[in-house]
Amino acid sequence: MIRTMHTLLIEDDSDTATFIQKGLGESGYNVDHADNGIDGLHMATHGQYDVMIVDRMLPGMDGLTLIEELRKRNIHTPVLILSALGEVDDRVDGLRAGGDDYLVKPYAFSELLARLQALARRSQPEMQGTVLQVGDLRLDQIKRKVTRGDVEIQLQPREFMLLEYLMRHTGQVVTRTMLLENVWDYHFDPQTNVIDVHISRLRRKIDKDFDKPLLHTIRGAGYSLHEP
Amino acid sequence: MALSLKLLRTTAFRLSLIYALTFSLLAATAMGFVYLTTKKELMNQTDARLQLEANILINQYRAKDIDALFESLQQKQHDSRTSFFIYVLVHRDQKDITTGFVPEYTTPDGKQAFATLPMGLLLKTDEDHDDDPVRVLLTQLPNGYQLLVARDLNDQQTVLRKIFNTVILTILVTLTLALIVGMVFGQQVVRRIEKVRKTAGEIIDGDLSRRMPVNRRNNEFDQLSRTINSMLQRLEQLMHGMRNVTDNLAHDLRKPLNRIRNRLEVILLEPRDDDTYRETIARTVEDTEELIATFNALLSIARAESGERRQDWDEVDLTELLEQLAELYEAAAEEENLSFTADIARDLKLHGNRQLLAQAVTNLLDNAMKFTPSGGRVTLTATRNNGNIIVAVEDTGPGIAEQDREKIFERFVRLDSARSAPGSGLGLSLVKAVASLHQAEVKVSGRNPGTRFELIFDVG
Repeated sequence: MIRTMHTLLIEDDSDTATFIQKGLGESGYNVDHADNGIDGLHMATHGQYDVMIVDRMLPGMDGLTLIEELRKRNIHTPVLILSALGEVDDRVDGLRAGGDDYLVKPYAFSELLARLQALARRSQPEMQGTVLQVGDLRLDQIKRKVTRGDVEIQLQPREFMLLEYLMRHTGQVVTRTMLLENVWDYHFDPQTNVIDVHISRLRRKIDKDFDKPLLHTIRGAGYSLHEP
Repeated sequence: MALSLKLLRTTAFRLSLIYALTFSLLAATAMGFVYLTTKKELMNQTDARLQLEANILINQYRAKDIDALFESLQQKQHDSRTSFFIYVLVHRDQKDITTGFVPEYTTPDGKQAFATLPMGLLLKTDEDHDDDPVRVLLTQLPNGYQLLVARDLNDQQTVLRKIFNTVILTILVTLTLALIVGMVFGQQVVRRIEKVRKTAGEIIDGDLSRRMPVNRRNNEFDQLSRTINSMLQRLEQLMHGMRNVTDNLAHDLRKPLNRIRNRLEVILLEPRDDDTYRETIARTVEDTEELIATFNALLSIARAESGERRQDWDEVDLTELLEQLAELYEAAAEEENLSFTADIARDLKLHGNRQLLAQAVTNLLDNAMKFTPSGGRVTLTATRNNGNIIVAVEDTGPGIAEQDREKIFERFVRLDSARSAPGSGLGLSLVKAVASLHQAEVKVSGRNPGTRFELIFDVG
């Protein structure tokens, strides 16, 4: 993290709130906390935050209404919704209300952290344009072409999408669930470690014949693509 | 009493009553018309006869004189063929020539006129018959004479009264019959509804296996009962599913929860070094993850079984979905040193829930991968066949014994041969639930060696 991320956590369960505050604090986040929807909306409207975590069920004003209200007031801070309702339709409702990502309880903290990172990144100026670059790895979105140094790398369409996602989130941890959701659009976990297999295939193509590896496995969390 | 009161309030009874009243009214109108026409016709005939009689007498008088007329009147008075008729000849100044009685009636215009009068005005009778009606034709003759030819209307009155009585009787009988039919019909309806109500009551009291009575007649009631019965069937299934989930939760989550608890308790018994704490906590986190996975799987199954939000279904491009899965698993298979082949027909489309369908096929592929030894083969095929789409996952694993093939779809069932493999024993339950949600059939067959699972979707 180059600078401290300011996070607003709106969550009524004090144990969960303490847990998230502590965890995020240790990861270098600055966390403000509101324990009801009314205060949460007030703080979100008047404070400056990089990202928000909103519980779906809140006293005072429920999470989805709060987000709708924020969007109406033209505040577009990325929002991660936390919910105990986990079906696809619930997720769709959440995203429709203006949420940017949706995480179902119970979740692993590493998952929360990875998703938050991905969201916080959105509010920062991102590398624009149609060519993504990490180190000497270049991906041209228009020409559908990938090169590392001078070598052109042949990728299957899905591998291309996978790499594109990893490059868009360069320097961040990307979990298997995030890949399943964003690259394959699956909202469940297969038992077979299909993602690992696809990552290792991709790794073989982009890293194997080069000195410095770019695609790293983060134990117990997921993967990260970044410069050595 | 309660039943008959209820009966009066039934729609069937009310309908029969309205029907009966309408019918009776129509009958009354028709019969009344007949009655009036008959009455008029009888009167016309009477008048014609009177006119005829009078004409004969007047002609006799014109041909001869008043005495001759008088004579023939006397004859006629005693003639039995003309006994219905009454002949009276009177003179203004004298007493009745024939009977000595002076009628108090004269023609208004001094010529000829019909009238219906009480008999007492014409004749001297015994009191009883004074009011009997008679039809009279009065003819004014020269020199102050007046000829009255009359006919007793008694017999006609009798006929008319009979007709009238018949009319009333018919209406009464119609009404009564209609009411009785209505009662009987209404009673049947009441009994039928009473049965349905009673059954519903028993179901409310908790006996979900009760069903509405269905007769062979297949009338509206039977059709309604049948629809309600299929609804009850569905409800019972859902209830059963829910109960199953709770039972399973109780049985199968208790064990791992207890394990976690025991482990933590043991750790707390005495001080340990940091590494031991770390290791215990890490293992516990792993266990909870497993619990969460089981829990989620159960919820998915329950949701799929209850068919929630089916109205949000979409057209699913099954070809695209399966190709994507094939691509996803092909790599994994290669890693496990399995050969993977996919043969998926073009343009397979299906109305359903994409995520659930993907998860079901994923579970089948996961199983195939898990149980097929290195060097084996996993095949995913999708074909169209007579209005069916058949998605099949085939492997060259150890296969499933014939007698176990039903059992494997039950929750938490893990065959002995699979005990050592990871898994919750819920994968195939979800496949089954997703299949029945999409009205598809799941078929298992042996390949010797190996297993073939088929999802057969009816896309008509």
